[in-house]
Amino acid sequence: MRTFIAVAIFGGGIAHATLGPALRIADVAPDIPLIVVVLLALRRGPEFGCGAGFLAGLLQDAASGGMLGVQALTKALIGFAIGAVGGRLRVSQPLVQVPGLVLLTLLEGLARFALLKLFHFPAPFGELMTYVVLPQALYNGFLGAALVLALTWADATREHVS
Amino acid sequence: MKTRAFLLLGTVAVVCLLLLTLQMRGHVAGASDALAIVTTPVQSMLSRVNRSTVGLWSTYRDWKNVRAENRRLREETQQLRVEALRVTETVEENRRLRRLLALRESMPLATLSGEIIAREWGGWVRSLTVNRGRADRVARLTAVIGPDGLIGRVVDVRPGASIVQVLTDPTSTVGAHAVRTRTQGIVEGEPRGTLRFKYMARDGSGIQVGDLVVTSGAGGVFPRGIPVGRVRAIDDRGSALFHYAQLTPAVDFARIDEVLLIVGEGNHDLASLFAPPMP
Repeated sequence: MRTFIAVAIFGGGIAHATLGPALRIADVAPDIPLIVVVLLALRRGPEFGCGAGFLAGLLQDAASGGMLGVQALTKALIGFAIGAVGGRLRVSQPLVQVPGLVLLTLLEGLARFALLKLFHFPAPFGELMTYVVLPQALYNGFLGAALVLALTWADATREHVS
Repeated sequence: MKTRAFLLLGTVAVVCLLLLTLQMRGHVAGASDALAIVTTPVQSMLSRVNRSTVGLWSTYRDWKNVRAENRRLREETQQLRVEALRVTETVEENRRLRRLLALRESMPLATLSGEIIAREWGGWVRSLTVNRGRADRVARLTAVIGPDGLIGRVVDVRPGASIVQVLTDPTSTVGAHAVRTRTQGIVEGEPRGTLRFKYMARDGSGIQVGDLVVTSGAGGVFPRGIPVGRVRAIDDRGSALFHYAQLTPAVDFARIDEVLLIVGEGNHDLASLFAPPMP
């Protein structure tokens, strides 16, 4: 339950829309909810990943004023997929984390674009990919890797203390 | 387990697609409103936290900037003070040199300007070193003056410099007279750095405090009429043959930096060239 609240606040678009701009570099902001969903899915499996993705995406949609359900679905898909295959990936390696998060962000962007197209949303593919999705993917890659390292360090410290 | 996961994914997908479809048809405005009830207060709270944090950070950065600016301004002030001192020094030097130049131009005798490069200010010897020497054809016993009056005489000539015996040197003697009474006498230096005017009692009965004493020209070393000092006090020794008058030197030896060496010869009275020193 506590994890879900955390997802709702920090993984969801609430914190993202409020605190995200503070992390902006050259007008590119990271997709914090996506990173949180990926990290949770890796630790807790596909069901949790799917649920967290849905909740985070739904709140992100609501907070950003977009169409409800778009990010809820894409993030649920990402959460499910990474939760399902995460066990087979060597996610503790930064060489996997950075490109992995870049790829996931690109996939999420493509899925979001496809979904919006399906519902007749006028979005220029080239520009979206070049100026929004790709820079954000790179940012997510490095930020996500840093978060993974921080969590690993926190786990190790906790184990050492206990 | 896997079935449950796929079932969940399917449900999520269906819900999302349903939401999107209904939105396209304009039916789920209520859902957005319901979600906003949850999101808006949390957003407000987070925004406040964010603003406080950013405000704190901004305050810290401002403080750092103010500190840096303060340091920069302090350095600038220091530089400006040094600059102001330099300007004052230059103005003062300019004034001194102008006075010296005016004196030199009005002198009927050939002169050589010199700069003081060293001072010997112990009680035994009181001398100045001037950057003019044998190479400039400076001769021993050359009179050395400043815009205010007599400084002394050259006692040693070296290749690039000369040693000037200052009037206050204990071994210095200069023939002089009081301008007002024409009383003749000798100005002598004293070990404590003062000057005294030694004169015959019968000639000096009329000498008063404030009288100007100038060189007499006797002996041929110093031209006549160069101010030596003013009477500060009179030491009346009753029936003794000589009386003494304490003099305040016309020149402040400690502060003089440029001098004129009188290298020309001739019997001139220079009294009119010197502005009367303040009593």
